[in-house]
Amino acid sequence: MSHEVSHEPIATETDVPTDSDGDVMIEVEGLKTYYENSGLLGGKPVKAVDGVSFDIRRGETLGLVGESGCGKTTLGRTLLQLEDATDGEIRFDGVDITTLGGDDLHEWRRNAQMVFQDPESSLNDRMTIGEIVREPLDVHEWETPQARRQRVKELLDTVGLQREHYYRYPHQFSGGQRQRISIARTLALEPDFVVLDEPVSALDVSVQAEIINLLEDLQNEFGLTYLFIAHDLSVVHHLCDRVAVMYLGNIMEIGPTEELFTDPANPYTHALLSAIPEPDPTVERDRITLHGTPPNPRYPPAGCPFSTRCPARIRPAEYRDLDDELWNRLNTLRDLLSERQRAERSVRDRLRAVVGKDTRFGTVEETYDELFGDQKVPARVQSVLDEIATLARNHDEGEAIAVFNEAFGSVCDDEPPAYHDVSDGGHQSYCHRHTNEYRSTDAVLENRHG
Amino acid sequence: MSVRASFEPNETTDESRSLRERVADNPGPARFWLLGTAVLVALEFGRYMGWAQQLVGAVKYVIGLVGLIPTWIGDSVGEATVPIVSYFVSDAITLVLLFGIAVLVTRFTSWSAVDQFDLGLSDRLVRFLERAVLTVVLATIAVLFAFTPVGGLVNGAIDGVFNTLSSIPTLTSREVISNQGHRTPGGGWDGTFLGLSPAVAWGIRTLLVYGYALTMIVWTWKGYTIFREHYRKADWTPRDDTLRRFRTHYWGLFGLIVVLMFIVTALWAPAISPTTADQNIASPYEYEIEYLNDDGDVVTTTPGQANLNSQSNGQNTIGPMSYDDYDRWSPLGTTSSGQNLLTHIAYGAQTSLVIGLLAIGLGGLIAVTMSMLTAYYKGIVDILTVITSDTIISIPAFLLVMMLSVIFNQGNHPIAEPLNGGLLLGLIFAFVYWPGMWRTIRGPSLQVAEEEWVDAARSYGQTPVNTMRKHMAPYIAGYIMIYGSLLLGGIIISTAALSFLGLGIEGSTPEWGRLINDGRSFVGTSSWHVATIPGLMIVLVVTAFNALGDGLRDAIDPEADTGGTDDTGTAAAGGGG
Ligand code: SF4
Repeated sequence: MSHEVSHEPIATETDVPTDSDGDVMIEVEGLKTYYENSGLLGGKPVKAVDGVSFDIRRGETLGLVGESGCGKTTLGRTLLQLEDATDGEIRFDGVDITTLGGDDLHEWRRNAQMVFQDPESSLNDRMTIGEIVREPLDVHEWETPQARRQRVKELLDTVGLQREHYYRYPHQFSGGQRQRISIARTLALEPDFVVLDEPVSALDVSVQAEIINLLEDLQNEFGLTYLFIAHDLSVVHHLCDRVAVMYLGNIMEIGPTEELFTDPANPYTHALLSAIPEPDPTVERDRITLHGTPPNPRYPPAGCPFSTRCPARIRPAEYRDLDDELWNRLNTLRDLLSERQRAERSVRDRLRAVVGKDTRFGTVEETYDELFGDQKVPARVQSVLDEIATLARNHDEGEAIAVFNEAFGSVCDDEPPAYHDVSDGGHQSYCHRHTNEYRSTDAVLENRHG
Repeated sequence: MSVRASFEPNETTDESRSLRERVADNPGPARFWLLGTAVLVALEFGRYMGWAQQLVGAVKYVIGLVGLIPTWIGDSVGEATVPIVSYFVSDAITLVLLFGIAVLVTRFTSWSAVDQFDLGLSDRLVRFLERAVLTVVLATIAVLFAFTPVGGLVNGAIDGVFNTLSSIPTLTSREVISNQGHRTPGGGWDGTFLGLSPAVAWGIRTLLVYGYALTMIVWTWKGYTIFREHYRKADWTPRDDTLRRFRTHYWGLFGLIVVLMFIVTALWAPAISPTTADQNIASPYEYEIEYLNDDGDVVTTTPGQANLNSQSNGQNTIGPMSYDDYDRWSPLGTTSSGQNLLTHIAYGAQTSLVIGLLAIGLGGLIAVTMSMLTAYYKGIVDILTVITSDTIISIPAFLLVMMLSVIFNQGNHPIAEPLNGGLLLGLIFAFVYWPGMWRTIRGPSLQVAEEEWVDAARSYGQTPVNTMRKHMAPYIAGYIMIYGSLLLGGIIISTAALSFLGLGIEGSTPEWGRLINDGRSFVGTSSWHVATIPGLMIVLVVTAFNALGDGLRDAIDPEADTGGTDDTGTAAAGGGG
């Protein structure tokens, strides 16, 4: 495997060999979408999308996968200008749409549409199906009202409903049918690009396949370009040409679907893949369990976004021999410390800390007992832990974390990784392990979880 | 793209035709219903024209009031600076107002220069020019009306037409079935309908009124069912379920019936009253009545004089279902000043209805508009609205109402004139109660703003105004109806309470609260009816509005608990002071 270092984001890399139909439709560059605090006092914004770059090629389906809350829906909504980008560019056929406004934006909206996740919520149930599907046409004053009605009926046909459904209400339809109506509305303005926001996750398993097939047929028929958002990899497998894996506002890995499934490069993709139930029970695949929950997107880690939970995190050389369970406990300790640090900011908590009433975190001793009571802790680790305990007891969490990082931290915690090409097909991964200094992800995971 | 390729524009199917065409296909049921409607309307045509005339009068009043704004602001500015400035300011404001009207007109008419001419300009610019031109046209018309005789002529013509039309006798006219006459020495009656006794004549007329109203309501329902059966395209709509649920909600139906009777009483007040308010209450010394005196002679007197001798004040009582000494029929007795109690009640219903509808209509409009805006835009609009509404809510409602009504009444503001302050009271209630209404619908509107269909509308470029109107307002309408009908009871009580305290409606405008005030010292005497009957009416009507609100709530949203009952409690308690 070739490990070329590229510190540039993907989109700017003009020399990356693309597919045969390398016609790029959408170029996203350094896109950030932050949600400011709704209060008047400001505070740290939620970094829902924190600097992503990728291309979408004409006619392809790009899968966007990640756990809920990773920012994938926000990314999709920003691409459609339903959210304002904080920074970065989205070039749609060369035009940066983040700067569009007024009539230009209105005109552009014809080109890009969205199918929403929840068919219960995406159709206004006080309107007839006809009115719902017709509305985009009305908004853009498409031909005559008579022609619009005709077109709606054609569209109902196209998505596998009946023309007579024009005067029905959404209440009279099942979830799958409602999603078809939603798709018909999406197609009304003949868009080029459609964002599919988990279009089947709210549906029965039996109808999921039907909708997926419909989406595929429509893509072939009308030459659509899809961004398919999903929360697990299994759904995107056969529909998508390429897949991007997202974690905490960043794209961890992007590449051709087959390659990403058979030869995942990023530890996070490994973890996601191991969570897919294996259809063939004879094949042994170890499940990599991820500990803890994703960090608060208001306070993302300084280094790699995945560093707090990564099963392949790079460990400092001197502690390489510690066993995995102890590492887990150490990670938990660090999470606790940073949580305490944030919580300590409230004046009330400070006061209570001063009068010795430790608040919701319990005393340091209790925590230590819980974490390390049943562990064999080597002396050199213990001495660091003691130092941390002293600092924590004095409510100097900042210093405690610094000590922790000094001892147990590594490049994963300190520096954001770069995108590395892992194959010639535009397969890239966001991880330090692709540099030659460190062992490969495969080997480490084999070692630790094998 | 190929979606277009598979599209054939000339194909017509059955369902894509307009209502008119569908009626033309099967005219039987529609013709039957329209014929019935025509007969019903013809029976009361004069009265409908009378209502229309009053409506036109109200519109003129509003226009006049708006017309005062530019001079008023201009004068204020002029006083602060140099007088000449006042002309510029008032002219500028006039133009701004006219431009606002032009915007409304262009919004609600489908014609637009954008579709007609290709001027090579952007759509927005064309639309703006279109409105500017319309403003100039409106200004010309306004100048024409204000400074040439044209205005007077048109005005006179409108009045003349309505005067003629509204004087056409109707089924329930007082002239057709008169109950005003006098006994003859021979023991019969003179001047009444067919020589019947006034009681019987009045009874017939009253029955006709309610019978007619009932027929009208039933016929309207019939029209709806005919439409549903023969002409509606959809075989089911969500509204069908709402209606079905309401039809089996007996408490709500009770409320609806009483509320409808209340409204009918208010609308047909002149027909239900044994005598008109003008003759009996407003200017009793300008009319003459005849009666048979004790000596057996038919003599003439004024109603005012007769009232003085017909008081129900403890010593002297003209109770319910009796005649006074002047051969006048009093179905509910007389008031403590000798006026006809039923006349008071019927016209008082009008007063309550006008105040209530004005308050709920205007307050509800503000509340719905604000809730749409705050839910859609959130942020600073929301914060400002919260602050404003909290400020208003923090003052006890009844105190605020009292304060405002005293200020405007003492100041003899022109707005305090109509209905002896009734209009003013309606406006004050609207101002005081919109924050409450806004709060009640805030939750639902925030919820509906989060629905994906609102995002969907944004994704294909629907305008904010249309999104609010089509995708949010319909979900709020139910809640505002529920809360509105619950609050209406509170407003009726508040109006009565103000009059009871002598702060509300004074003068010749009949009002229920004042009746209670007038009669409260006689409750223990033979004149108990003066305070008791209006009191019972208030209880009945307020209960009915609450029942209607409950029924609507259960019908519109069977699962939701809007907490409406608690709100009424506070609204009524707040209103009742
Ligand atoms: S950079 Fe480090 S923490 Fe991030 S994915 Fe790679 S190994 Fe894991």
